[in-house]
Amino acid sequence: MSKPKLELVALRKDYADGSVPAVDGIDLAVQPGETLALLGPSGCGKSTTLNMIVGLESPTSGDIQIDGRSILGVPAGKRNVGMVFQDYAVFTSMTVRKNLAFGLEIRKMPKAEIDRAVHEVAELLGMADRLDARARDLGGSELQRVAIGRTLATRPALLLLDEPLSNLEYAARLAMRRELRRLQQEIGLTIIYVTHDQIEALSLADRIAVMRAGKILQVEQTTTIYDTPDHVFVASFLGSPPMNLLRGNLEAHGQGMLFRIGQFRLQLPPPRPGMAMPRGVTLGVRPESLQVVPAEAAPLVGQVLLAEPRGPEVVLTVESAAVQLKAIAPSHGRPEEGSLVGLAVDPASLVFFSNDTSHRMELC
Amino acid sequence: MAENTMQAMPPVRPPRGLSRDAVVRLLTLPGVIVSLVVLVLPLLVALYMSFTDWSPRSSSFFEAGFVGFDNYSELTVYDTRFLYAVLRTLCIAAVCLSLEFAIGLGLAVLFLREFRGKSLLFSAFLSPMMILPVVVGYTFWMLFQSNGPINQMVELCFGPGSSPEWFRSAPLAVLAVIITEVWHWTPLFFLILLSGLNAVPENPVRAAVILGASPRQVFWRVVMPMLKPVIVVAFVIRTMEIIKLFDEVYMLTRGGPGSATETISLYIYKLAFNDFQLAYGAAAAFLVLLGCLLLIHLLLSPVRDQLLKGGR
Repeated sequence: MSKPKLELVALRKDYADGSVPAVDGIDLAVQPGETLALLGPSGCGKSTTLNMIVGLESPTSGDIQIDGRSILGVPAGKRNVGMVFQDYAVFTSMTVRKNLAFGLEIRKMPKAEIDRAVHEVAELLGMADRLDARARDLGGSELQRVAIGRTLATRPALLLLDEPLSNLEYAARLAMRRELRRLQQEIGLTIIYVTHDQIEALSLADRIAVMRAGKILQVEQTTTIYDTPDHVFVASFLGSPPMNLLRGNLEAHGQGMLFRIGQFRLQLPPPRPGMAMPRGVTLGVRPESLQVVPAEAAPLVGQVLLAEPRGPEVVLTVESAAVQLKAIAPSHGRPEEGSLVGLAVDPASLVFFSNDTSHRMELC
Repeated sequence: MAENTMQAMPPVRPPRGLSRDAVVRLLTLPGVIVSLVVLVLPLLVALYMSFTDWSPRSSSFFEAGFVGFDNYSELTVYDTRFLYAVLRTLCIAAVCLSLEFAIGLGLAVLFLREFRGKSLLFSAFLSPMMILPVVVGYTFWMLFQSNGPINQMVELCFGPGSSPEWFRSAPLAVLAVIITEVWHWTPLFFLILLSGLNAVPENPVRAAVILGASPRQVFWRVVMPMLKPVIVVAFVIRTMEIIKLFDEVYMLTRGGPGSATETISLYIYKLAFNDFQLAYGAAAAFLVLLGCLLLIHLLLSPVRDQLLKGGR
């Protein structure tokens, strides 16, 4: 593995007025050319982390390194880190050209080189014919493109995107998402992408770091974090609808184990060799892992409380022995609300969390 | 609940025989008459008067001779005292507004930070604006007396005999007027600019900092352009006010020594009430009104689009 581009070491930020730290000792390494999404609910410390990386706020303790060198003593404008804001923050009194050239003029680059760089960036973002438009006449996605271009023109070592698509309307957001993917592939930037939109994180990032209350709960490849969340919170945060989380007890039963919450029972295979069977456990199952089958021979039987169509599929809320489960079924031939259905589940798709630590365990 | 309210107020029906339009006209008629009598009529009378040679000493208003544009040509071509009053007022305005803007902006920038006693100082800095111009004029007249407090301080600093006679020298009298005016009205600039600065969005400033701009570059390249409409509005308000500059000068110098501090308003006042040349004074007033309109139009032109359409 190559040397990380950015490394956060035990980074911590306390505010004078709050007893709870905004960022509570996080460690994170971002590889060159990687896109890492910081995902979490509002107030979890995502933006504070970005502000510390870019230099707008200084950490209470810990270190930030770019290419192995600490940048804590370097002022904000000299860190070679670019940042794009949710509300674009474009200089509205200037033309697009002036906006794109701003960072380079500050760096006192020769005029000819500025012109070349501005054209290059405008070309990349498909704005070459809009260079002389005034920024205040632009629409949302154009503004965001100017904001990204203004940052790219300075050739940052690291690009921070703070919820860059959240202010755009749906169609523009999809288009910009594709645009960002293209940019990633064309220029191979190292990007940290802050968002609270998990779909955006899943579709843009190589890895996802899920934050809560100033701590990083899990950093994992996008493909793996969805299937094997390490923490109950990560499981409940990713996915729409999120993973079904059932807190119950285990007991030995025949060849395997029996999971039960009151009258709700689910037969499970035996624990892995060497694993002791815990008493309490939280069982996690993705709605799309639950298959709707005829009620007769199904391991779980329940009544459909609610069927929410989502175009090609329908989200079912099924109540089985006072436990509610979400399941996703194809839209055609979907069960009626109020009818009885059976649910089947592949035991390999189940995840288990310890009731004591909320962390995942490899049970079976 | 909402339905009940709707039922309680049936659509207003006009009395029989009157259309809706007629009712509207009937109800607004008193207002129209009052504004015609109070606003338009005096203006028209004054406008007519400016084309006559009427003076209350010579004849009655209706017998006054119609002289066409004589008053206006006299004013613009031959009356050097009027022309000087205009130039003098514009010069005083230019100096005062520059100083007021610079000091007001400086104070506003200082007030962006937190410091001890900020709210107390804020009220103190705003208080001059709330004092009557006549009182300010009288107070500074007292302060600038040859044995007044300002001269006492000057003598303390530079020795006996060093204090000037403020109202006997033309440049010093103008300076006294400027000092008074700046003291009186800088708070307005301060207030407007401070609220403008506080309304500047945070993220463009942060973006500029991240792109490497120094605090000075951030201020001049990012903050000031966003402040432009506010600055122009402040200048427009103050320009209109200072062209009418009268009370302070009247209290301080009565336009003297000679006519060294005679502003437009003061000159017109003397024309009307010392010399009773009411018609001539009216013509001067209309010229000033035209000039004022032109000046405000020019001042507003760079930001008119932004103000009317509301830029982001």
